[in-house]
Amino acid sequence: MASIVSLRNVVKDYYLGKVVVHALRGINLEVEQGEFLSIAGPSGSGKTTLLNLVGCVDTPTGGTVTVNGQDTTQLSERQLTDLRLNTLGFIFQSFNLVTVLSVFQNIEFPLLLQGGMTTGERKQRVEELVAQVGLVEHLHKRPNELSGGQRQRVAVARALVTKPKIVLADEPTANLDSVTGQNIIDLMKDLNRKQGTTFIFSTHDPKVMSHASAVVKVADGQLAEGGKQSGAAAAAAVSAH
Amino acid sequence: MKALFMLLGGIAGLATVVFIVTVLVFSAYMFGQVAWNAVRRPGQLPIVVRIAFRNLFASKLKTIIIGSIIGGGAVLIVVGTSFIGSATDGMSKSIIGSASGDLQVYAPKLPDGGGDEFAIWGNGMSEPDLGAIDDFSKLKTTLEKVPNVKAVVPMGISGAMVTSGNTIDLALGDLREAENKKKAGDPSVQPRIDAQKAHVQHIIDVLKGDQKNRAEISSESRGQTQEEIDAVNTASNPAWWADFESDPFGKLEFLENKIAPQAADADLIYLRYIGTDMSQFEKSFDRMEIVDGTAVPPGERGFLFAKNFYENTVKLKSAKRLDDIKEAIETKHQKIADTEDLQRLVRENTTQTREIALQLDEIKAKEMIARLQKATGSNETQLEKLLAEFFKTDDANFKQRYDAFYKDIAPLLELYRIRIGDTLTIKAFTKSGFTKSVNLKVYGTFQFKGLEKSALAGSLNLMDLRSFRDLYGFMTADTIAEAQAIKKEAGTKEVSRENAEADLFGADAPVAAAEKPDAGAPRVIEAQTTPGVITNDKNPVKQALHDKEVQGRMYGSGGDDQGAVLNAAIFLKDPAQARASTAEIEKTAKDAGMNLKVLSWQEASGNIGKLVLLFWAIFMFASLFIGFVAAIIVNNALLTATLERVREFGTLRAIGAQKPLILSTVVVEAMVMGIVFGGLGACLGAGIVGWVHSHGIPATADIMYFLFSGPRFTPVLSVPSLFIALIAMFVISAFASLIPAYLAMRVSPVRAMQAED
Repeated sequence: MASIVSLRNVVKDYYLGKVVVHALRGINLEVEQGEFLSIAGPSGSGKTTLLNLVGCVDTPTGGTVTVNGQDTTQLSERQLTDLRLNTLGFIFQSFNLVTVLSVFQNIEFPLLLQGGMTTGERKQRVEELVAQVGLVEHLHKRPNELSGGQRQRVAVARALVTKPKIVLADEPTANLDSVTGQNIIDLMKDLNRKQGTTFIFSTHDPKVMSHASAVVKVADGQLAEGGKQSGAAAAAAVSAH
Repeated sequence: MKALFMLLGGIAGLATVVFIVTVLVFSAYMFGQVAWNAVRRPGQLPIVVRIAFRNLFASKLKTIIIGSIIGGGAVLIVVGTSFIGSATDGMSKSIIGSASGDLQVYAPKLPDGGGDEFAIWGNGMSEPDLGAIDDFSKLKTTLEKVPNVKAVVPMGISGAMVTSGNTIDLALGDLREAENKKKAGDPSVQPRIDAQKAHVQHIIDVLKGDQKNRAEISSESRGQTQEEIDAVNTASNPAWWADFESDPFGKLEFLENKIAPQAADADLIYLRYIGTDMSQFEKSFDRMEIVDGTAVPPGERGFLFAKNFYENTVKLKSAKRLDDIKEAIETKHQKIADTEDLQRLVRENTTQTREIALQLDEIKAKEMIARLQKATGSNETQLEKLLAEFFKTDDANFKQRYDAFYKDIAPLLELYRIRIGDTLTIKAFTKSGFTKSVNLKVYGTFQFKGLEKSALAGSLNLMDLRSFRDLYGFMTADTIAEAQAIKKEAGTKEVSRENAEADLFGADAPVAAAEKPDAGAPRVIEAQTTPGVITNDKNPVKQALHDKEVQGRMYGSGGDDQGAVLNAAIFLKDPAQARASTAEIEKTAKDAGMNLKVLSWQEASGNIGKLVLLFWAIFMFASLFIGFVAAIIVNNALLTATLERVREFGTLRAIGAQKPLILSTVVVEAMVMGIVFGGLGACLGAGIVGWVHSHGIPATADIMYFLFSGPRFTPVLSVPSLFIALIAMFVISAFASLIPAYLAMRVSPVRAMQAED
């Protein structure tokens, strides 16, 4: 089975003033379609950078990042944006909803960006997802009328509304209490199982890791020895510390 | 050095051009992106507009700042345009209706159109020097061929000195009449004679006082001849008066010839007048109405005072001041106690009582003292002190004193130095420096409806056209021919001003002529005096012409239309077509061989008309400046708002929004603000104009009556200004959003991933 995401010898350097920060130092990673992959590591280890590269919001300094068969280093800004719109979905740590739009409008937004659907089709699609994330009665509320967990559900629905092949989630449970965070993970996993969407999320929470089909650990810009582990093993290892 | 300046200038110029081009290219690019995105992805437009509208309420501080700036700008445009537009309108009505007509035509001094510009109210110091339109009837028939021309009114505007019927003339006239009655055997007039003699002596005392003052100020006699000084000295000698009755008429002659002219100088009035066909003028300027007396009968010579001028200049100063105080109290609701101006008027009235005292002979003075004692409740016996006491008014007693003045005091006085029915002697300085004078009967006063209080509209008096021509030095074709005939009879040769000395005295001719810088081009007409002129010149030509005039009262046989005028007012059937008609009139006149200039009312009114242009210029400049400042403030507010929304823009970019969409959200948001607040501001502005329209701003200064074309300012809403305001605010907001939009567009999607803080 072909990898949906493939990183080869990926290097990413940042410049902080004149100081070069080596965020990633030669990463090799293959992600299969339908994986529920967790990227683990302490703050500053480079996991967000890794996610940015996979999410096509950034490009590597060296090496290649292939997403859905396309080498991102060969794409223009506009093409990268289209790739993000059509192939990727994003779930953010702080939810990042458009505060002036309602739940419905937030979820509908990516469909409007894509174009090509009638109002009715869009409505139907949004309502399906709202049902899946359990927010039917909140459809016309604004984000600031919702709880943190509800907001993240909206974000999940928004990420999935375009039926992306890959959903990237950056610490999706970090701003949520453990019960709510668990619910979000369950929701994501459920969608992963039913629709075969690939999920890649960063976390440092062992409970979250334990749900992952695989875990890669990042430390000092490199993958930890052994590459992918099973979620349960990784969670146990972290908990043991 | 010069090269350096040129280089610097070149660089500055180039930099400006580069800057402007950059701004234009940048704006075109940005707006192009917005437009292209709207066309290519119309489905996104509703969400962009929705975000824009929702954002109005999202950031209240930003909305309040931008809203008040944009709204304020719209209010300014609507109110400013409406006010100035209404003032322009009012002014045009005032000027068209009181002096200029829709258009004015005149003949430029020089064939190429050069020479002084025509100006109704003058160009400041002097009357403009114009060419003459030699034959008005030809002008009239020619111009009336233009279909839009309703009426052509002949005119000429000039200024003149007037010696008013002053106190000494009145006193001497009365004295002469009384002496005549006494001579005829009526002894009952003796008290009147004595009273007038005392009155004249009183006036001579005043003149002597003036002489003494002058001597103290300067050792020179200040233009006074020794003869004049001697005359006053003689007449102030009690012995001279003691044997007055031995030769009353001889002595009267002395007083009339030697003393009265000296006392008269104080009463010279400068007045400006329009010489015109009176009936035509009254018919065409339909706001004109007669206030006192009657109109000048058709075909007669005569003079009409502008009511405002008459009140301000001819009326007894003390009475005028009382009127002014009353006006201020009643219309401006001022109080003497707390208004500097009114206190000054009261002070002047208490100190400047001599004008009244001079008017009174002994009998009247006694009566006046009695009446003043009654009115003031004082036992004072000295007239001047009593007058001062009487005029010392305050808020409590003003009404009573004012009524008492007109009921008891005024009947003893000449309220106006020139009464309706008097004959005016008008002395005019012709362009060549000659003094000419004409006697004219004052038939009445007139004013323009709605402009009663405007000193400007009421500054031009009216005179019949023939008298005007006389004073200006024009002759009709008939009188020129007549004059030639008389000259032949008198055996004189033509005498021009420039070489008059040479012609009349011969001897030093070459020297005198050489001293004249502009010798040559003899001006025959101006050098001669004309019918209607009173002259004591010993020049036989002038004397002969004068005699002829007195005997025959001959004028051009064709009436007012025949003969020269300086300018003419044109009334149009449709004033809106003024511009087209101007061109047509110029063409018609040219085809008829006339060199004419056609001016709009605005051009014809000189500096006054330019006042409106000045208002517009100031308003435009202020608007541009405020617009510029507004753009900067809006730009800053949007910039701050954009920086606060970096994560939002990053998120939108991350989930797949292309740059033009981000750009559009910022620009459209600004445009929405421009329309919403521009619209609210325009409505508020309309409301303000409407409120002022229904309440009115009372005119408080003379110029305001003229600007408002009436006593109150009731501005009319300028409907186009609503759209101008809306469009201007829209454009300003759109441009102000470009830099913030550019920054928003460049927000990296990575920013979405970054933690909240």
